[in-house]
Amino acid sequence: MRTWAVIRREYLERVRTKGFIVGTVLGPLLMAAFIVVPALVAGSRIGEQRTIGIVDASGVVLEPLRARLADSGREKGRDASRYTLMPVSLDGRTFDAGVAELKRMVQEESVHSGLVIAADFPTSRAVTFYVKSVAAMSVKDDLRPALNEVLRADRFKEKGIPEELREFLAAGTEWSTLNIGGEGQETRAGDESAFAVAIILIMMIYMMVLMYGAHTLQAVIEEKSSRVVEVLLSSMSPGSLMLGKVLGIGAAGLTQTAIWTAAFFVVSQQGVSIGSFKLDTSFLTPIIWISFLMYFLLGFFLYALLYAGVGAMCNTIQDSQQFNFPLMMGLVLPMLLLSLVVEAPGSPLSVGLSLFTLISPVLMFMRVCLQTPPAWQIGLSWLLLLLSIWLAARAAGKLFRLGVLMYGASPTWGTLVRALRQP
Amino acid sequence: MAQSVLSLPPPGAPILSVRGVSKSYGSVEAVRDVSLEIPRGSIYGFLGPNGAGKSTTIRITMGILLPDRGEVAFAGRPLDGAGRDRIGYLPEERGLYRKMKCAEQLAFFAELKGVPRREALARAAQWMDRMGLGDWKGRKIDELSKGMQQKVQFAATFLFEPDLVILDEPFSGLDPLNIELLREIILEQRARGRTIIFSTHMLAEAEKICDHVCLIDGGVKILDGTLDEVRNQFPQKSVRVAYEGGGEPPPDLPGVALRQFEEGSWRLLLEPGVDPQPLLDRLRAAGRISLFTANRPALGEIFLAAVHGGRATAGGDAR
Repeated sequence: MRTWAVIRREYLERVRTKGFIVGTVLGPLLMAAFIVVPALVAGSRIGEQRTIGIVDASGVVLEPLRARLADSGREKGRDASRYTLMPVSLDGRTFDAGVAELKRMVQEESVHSGLVIAADFPTSRAVTFYVKSVAAMSVKDDLRPALNEVLRADRFKEKGIPEELREFLAAGTEWSTLNIGGEGQETRAGDESAFAVAIILIMMIYMMVLMYGAHTLQAVIEEKSSRVVEVLLSSMSPGSLMLGKVLGIGAAGLTQTAIWTAAFFVVSQQGVSIGSFKLDTSFLTPIIWISFLMYFLLGFFLYALLYAGVGAMCNTIQDSQQFNFPLMMGLVLPMLLLSLVVEAPGSPLSVGLSLFTLISPVLMFMRVCLQTPPAWQIGLSWLLLLLSIWLAARAAGKLFRLGVLMYGASPTWGTLVRALRQP
Repeated sequence: MAQSVLSLPPPGAPILSVRGVSKSYGSVEAVRDVSLEIPRGSIYGFLGPNGAGKSTTIRITMGILLPDRGEVAFAGRPLDGAGRDRIGYLPEERGLYRKMKCAEQLAFFAELKGVPRREALARAAQWMDRMGLGDWKGRKIDELSKGMQQKVQFAATFLFEPDLVILDEPFSGLDPLNIELLREIILEQRARGRTIIFSTHMLAEAEKICDHVCLIDGGVKILDGTLDEVRNQFPQKSVRVAYEGGGEPPPDLPGVALRQFEEGSWRLLLEPGVDPQPLLDRLRAAGRISLFTANRPALGEIFLAAVHGGRATAGGDAR
């Protein structure tokens, strides 16, 4: 079969290039770098010791806070707290002089930040926090709950709450978030991490469409400008030539993405976690997997065919740029609309947008990841995509037949439309 | 390799028929009502000046372009995929993948004609050797000189053992030694029963190897027949004359249809029936003659005369 020879050539010529090999290896490495480097950076920041200057006018906060911070450090798996409290003594000076001294220490960076506990802290609950940069605000997120507990313990003691009641009264709520699936089954929701995994998968669809779709454009133009197309067309029909090219390039893209996906899962199975964020792939249900594959392939074919048709009309990449704009819009638009869909995946607007074939591979897949839409909507989007692919194949076939031997003048929208109107 | 399902006509009978083919690009009529009969086993010269419509006719013949009117038949059947698999095509401009290795490229083109891959690779190696490119099998096309690329393309045309081969300007960009090699191969392939259509504007080359010729100009067929038939249509003589010190023949010579200065001498094509002897006396009057010959006209002169005649009858449509 001739088409098979074209598929094999396109595939091998692509897969054997240095660019492909480097890209395939670098892809996961970059991905890993994106995940691991922030984790390392975050980890090193977490491990860093911070000295906090403290003016405790109440006299009841310093020691309980120190104990509380040491406890929470142990809860997080560390030997001791990462915070060292450095009291500014008020002996022989006024409260204001003490605060001035603390401010000077923060200013000179001899302490990371400064905490001032008012004398009437148990009643006023007033705490002043001095920082040199906004970045120190993350420290507040650690100090605040600890101080809250210190305050609570102080008030329990004042009101004479018995020891055994204190833990009972201090209890917080226990949350677990569950997704309700299409058939009412429940799955654990990973919240942010599920969202992150969805974004990574969408990026893969996006890359496939963007990179490999554009590859078809280049391949067709190259074949045309090197006049190979004339030899090819003396052996096969324009339709089978186009089919062979699109399938061969698609297979190369699929190979790369398969390697990346595998790498991604190997990485995620290692239980990579960054602080509280954990790459969690457990939310990936079969419907998400099937949808991923479908939108990945359908999206690629739709764009590859459109690109092939445009390429057939052009003699150089420059020629194609004017036609690129609407194609690029089809790719940029879903990124702009993504947040809209994320906000309200089930809204009529989201449903409508995610059925629009040029952007449905990204938007409908996002919806599938967020909140599985009714099966008929997913099915309809597949059907519409298949229909669009059929139309695109017909149009591209026509452009291929008419355009592929057209040399000379660079084409315009007029020529494109005229070519499409021909019988 | 699987033998063709097509049954070829006996040698001498038309293997390819082009009937009343026309093709326009917008308002430009590239080919108008052209009909050709290519006898099996011949070397058929398809000749004409640049832009005459040769390549368009050939593309239609290969099914790359669809004609506005007319039809093409191969081995007595309308040309289809099976027919195209028996026709080799060397396009006017080289069409090779620049980044692909020579032998693989040859094998790929043969595969597209239905040769199994293994067989195609073996033949590719043989043909690379035959073309004197044995050391270049694993090299990319990009690394080859233009002449070498042309030879690779040439090999691709014959690799799958076609019944008919269409060569569009096969000698362009080649040195005399390589032209000789290709000419040898063309004659050898004809001896094996293949039919060859040789399209060129280099008429002297065509005259050396063609047994049939056809001339088109302005998209219209002007002459068609065996080399002898065409020559006999032009019984007039051609005179070549040169003067010492670079003189010129007198401007008002009677019976001269066409005069032209080329390669250091003047060529005068006489009108039919004109005797060159009295002309010699007139020419001697103009100066000391260093060269004088009187011959049957070369193909080039016949075509020049025919093109001028054709354009005159077509109402001076000088394209």
